[in-house]
Amino acid sequence: MSELDIIELKKHIIEDLNLEDYTPETLDAAAPLFGDEGLGLDSIDVLELILVLEKYYGLRVASPEEGKKIFQTVQTIADYIAANR
Amino acid sequence: MNVYITACNSINPVFQPDNFSWKEKIETPDVIRFTCKEPDYKAFITDSATRRRMSRAVKMGVAAALQCLADAEVTPDAIITATGLGCLGDTEKFLKTLIENGEDLLNPTPFIQSTFNTVGAQVAIAQKNTCYNTTYVHRGIAFENALTDAILQLGESAVKNVLTGAYEELTDTSFDVQRRLGMFRRGGRAGEGSAFFMLSSETESFCRLKAVNVAFCQEKSEIREKLLAFLCQNDINPDDIDIFISGESGNTDEQPFYDTVENAFPSASTVHYKHLSGDYQTVSSFALWLAVKIIENQAVPAHFLKTGKAEKMDKILIYNNFRNINHSFILCGRQF
Repeated sequence: MSELDIIELKKHIIEDLNLEDYTPETLDAAAPLFGDEGLGLDSIDVLELILVLEKYYGLRVASPEEGKKIFQTVQTIADYIAANR
Repeated sequence: MNVYITACNSINPVFQPDNFSWKEKIETPDVIRFTCKEPDYKAFITDSATRRRMSRAVKMGVAAALQCLADAEVTPDAIITATGLGCLGDTEKFLKTLIENGEDLLNPTPFIQSTFNTVGAQVAIAQKNTCYNTTYVHRGIAFENALTDAILQLGESAVKNVLTGAYEELTDTSFDVQRRLGMFRRGGRAGEGSAFFMLSSETESFCRLKAVNVAFCQEKSEIREKLLAFLCQNDINPDDIDIFISGESGNTDEQPFYDTVENAFPSASTVHYKHLSGDYQTVSSFALWLAVKIIENQAVPAHFLKTGKAEKMDKILIYNNFRNINHSFILCGRQF
């Protein structure tokens, strides 16, 4: 995924998850999405992220196991999009 | 049993919630739509994950409730919330997505947060409080019914402190719908706001909530009878009332009722507020907040005073009329 595409992905995530403290510039693509060290997202946010993939990129996450790998960081989501689109 | 208002907080279109001052200069915009002056919610709702999921209505309600709890410094034995239309913003968002996405790809957050009891629930979660928690959704008398329940709860021996309040949100869509329905053709204004109160049967304060009454009547002759019956029931003469807080909004259909009630108190000063706050289903919560502040400060800001000099501010009667159907009286003051 190009830098421009990652910025677009970040915009979707920020807007749909209402991450009011972040901008595409301040959202670190390598930061963990879950847990205290990262963005601190939770299970409801996973549903929102699944919708982001489906709505903007036409991708369906098939299994929970797959989801665990995809939703580690913004970068892993971008990699998944690049590989499957 | 006496019921006292020991703390209160409001987010409204008139006063700045940050650095609130009763003496601040009040703006008097000539508009028919009033929007709240909102605080920086980070100070009230510190958890960013919780805050970012909340709509404007939820933030307004929760912030007012949490500040009221902080001021009261007690753990409530009951949390009672009132709203006419609930979390409209989230409801609209959810329904809009439902239509746009063909009932597919629905975001869970607006759906979860769109329920009427979201504010009461979020306050309970923030306080880790599992006490009695209910929400009244009764159009123009929701707040009065919440107050009535609070008084009944305080009548129970185990309940000493009840957090009671109301919230209402005015969205672009709801304002447009109201305008299209012609609701401002006969005068009147739209508004929004939230107000929460700590009611206590064990801690005395400068303001006592004496009685609440709701009435259904469509004729102005009936309202006078119901008012006098209410006063009689509470051993109050019309001359005892120092301040009459009128809910008149400028709507010419409703004005005859307000005039009838106002005329019953020839010696009282009349306060009005909807020209500054707008009208909404639970606006009497703002009127009660105004009454508490008048008693606390022993002053009425000039823009609220309609008639009289407001020299005495001990006994206050609030009257509200919701579309000439639902009428309510709230009696409060520092001496009864």
